[in-house]
Amino acid sequence: MTILVQHGHGKSDKIDEALSAGTVQGVIFAPRNEKPENLAACLQSLANAHQCELLIDPQYYVSAFAPANTRYLTEYPYFHGGLSASDFTLRRIRTIVAEAIGFQINTGATSIISPTVLFDSFTDRWFQIALNLADYSLEYHASLNSGTPLLLSFVLAEEALSAEEEVGRFLDTVTQDGWGMQGFYLVVSRHEGTYNQDCESARLANLLYAVHVLGDVNALRVVLGYTDFLGIPLRAVGASAFACGWSQGLRQFVRKNFLQRPPGGQPPRDRYSSGPLLNSIYLQELQDVFEVGRLDDVLSGVDLDEVITSAESPQAASWNLAVAQQHHWQTLHALDSAFTGRARQRVIRVMGLIRAAQGLYALLEREGVTFERFTGKDHLANWSRALSEFARRVGYATS
Amino acid sequence: MADLPSLTPDQVAVLVPQASDIEHIGSGGQKLVFRGTISGTFYALKFSKLAATPVDELDDFATSDIAIRAKREVETMRECTSHHVVKLGPLGLSFGSAGGQQLVFFSEEFILGSDLKTHLRRDGKFAAQEVAKLGIQIGSAIKALWEFGKVHRDIKPANIMRRDSNGDYVLLDAGFAFDVDGESISVGPVGTPAYFSPEQFEFTNRRTVLDFRSDMFSLGVTMYFLATATHPFWSPGDTTQSLYSKITGFNPLAPSSIVDGFPEPLDEVIMRLLGKSPHLRFRTCDQLITALQGV
Repeated sequence: MTILVQHGHGKSDKIDEALSAGTVQGVIFAPRNEKPENLAACLQSLANAHQCELLIDPQYYVSAFAPANTRYLTEYPYFHGGLSASDFTLRRIRTIVAEAIGFQINTGATSIISPTVLFDSFTDRWFQIALNLADYSLEYHASLNSGTPLLLSFVLAEEALSAEEEVGRFLDTVTQDGWGMQGFYLVVSRHEGTYNQDCESARLANLLYAVHVLGDVNALRVVLGYTDFLGIPLRAVGASAFACGWSQGLRQFVRKNFLQRPPGGQPPRDRYSSGPLLNSIYLQELQDVFEVGRLDDVLSGVDLDEVITSAESPQAASWNLAVAQQHHWQTLHALDSAFTGRARQRVIRVMGLIRAAQGLYALLEREGVTFERFTGKDHLANWSRALSEFARRVGYATS
Repeated sequence: MADLPSLTPDQVAVLVPQASDIEHIGSGGQKLVFRGTISGTFYALKFSKLAATPVDELDDFATSDIAIRAKREVETMRECTSHHVVKLGPLGLSFGSAGGQQLVFFSEEFILGSDLKTHLRRDGKFAAQEVAKLGIQIGSAIKALWEFGKVHRDIKPANIMRRDSNGDYVLLDAGFAFDVDGESISVGPVGTPAYFSPEQFEFTNRRTVLDFRSDMFSLGVTMYFLATATHPFWSPGDTTQSLYSKITGFNPLAPSSIVDGFPEPLDEVIMRLLGKSPHLRFRTCDQLITALQGV
């Protein structure tokens, strides 16, 4: 169960298709995007048709967003919007936890996800609320004697990851004896609103370290939500699974996506997800790569590449959003499947992938291919620095 | 740190009239230790000095740090049923005076054997399998203490005895045990700095997590020292400050780099116990014990 679909708006038959193809192994449902009766029916249908992981993110963090775009969340009995920090009294937290966990218990979910709130720093008031929610979730879940395991959920702004010492204290706390969860469902709220694969290296190093400590050292299950290509280095250091959705807003968690906004906006441009480049590039850029005779170097080597290779050129191919979505999961699955062995070997492998991608970008640029800012190679340098820092901290020799 | 009391076997006989055949056998920390027979069985009789000058009211010295520590040690021994934690004897927490000294004393199981500091000095480094056995048994002692919310805080070779009868290991001296739910009695760091965990140095930081994983670190230092006859951090001339720098920032060589043929799985366990943060060690004592059973 390594790649999960991050569910959102407009699921149509995408999930079924990806599960049937074996490129994903489960789903994390978003109640915000599904009516309660539809969610129940969908869970039941998937449970009947597939051996897969079925999770529901209760999305309680939306309750404290303002002005929140709650969509269907208010139709769920456990959800109460428009809450401020002072509303999260211990008494209220007990009710929130009981309702959010109680809602999931009989839905067919394979694990329970605890309700949480988003915090910007490990020293702010919201973090304490998140800890209280986690603490009572453990207590309440234990009282149920349920056979469905609990994943403790934390949603943190990526800025919180800048504080190495605070991350360490957080890890000391959540790995204490008596915290009887199966694992964690972690979501990092990204600062950058534009879809891209980059992440500031010090923050990423701390995230890699946290995931490694929880997943690899402490043998807890770690599921990363709203994670795109970054799921590959995270899997290398110890994540059990990561979730990636079909749209850009479901591949990265950005707070503004949960706020009320004026309607409109441009439809996304066609993209191709390249395993060798560890990035999702524009179809026009793939066309440029084709024109310099380097198409094979950039292709992911997955089944849906045939849509490109069977056409005269990438731009002449019948490539569309639906194909690109399934292809994206295929690409991530192919990258993920290459990881075996212990963490040290996996980290060496992913560092090799990054070096190869940097070399390929350099080659393509020398041959005249120009990439835009967010489809270029910048993220790779940050990933590489973050992995080197991570390796230094855990004592891995990687060269 | 209080002085050791000055006592003769005759004075002990007056303080503990039910004991006979009293003999001075040594001292440790703040305690003077005698062996005596009570109802036909040997027990260790341990005495600490409470105050330099006599105090009229028992209540005054019964609430001093030393008295509270002794009380905690007695309670820990009484509560903890682990075979690897020393047991309380028939004489519980007692107060008295002799030679102008106010004393607190109690009896505990007399263990026929030697402490591991003596073993190491006498016989040299321990075999890897013996180090693993020690880890399992003291790991179970740490677990038993933690079941009462207690952190020993002073695990070191001098506080571990090896029974002559069966070679089993027993943890002594819970006088510094920290009770996570109890009142704080220590104004400074307690224990032996060369065996401190990094978090023991941060005693003033209320956000520092101090739990049984601190004892795991001290156990790791002990296992390393016994396995290699080389302390992972301490060297002659070290001060508390230099030890702090080493314990929090220096990564020692793995035991296998010092001892030829040292088993890799045991190497990994010891190095994991020496993790600089609690989250890098074992999350439960059972995980530690399982890892050592596989060595």
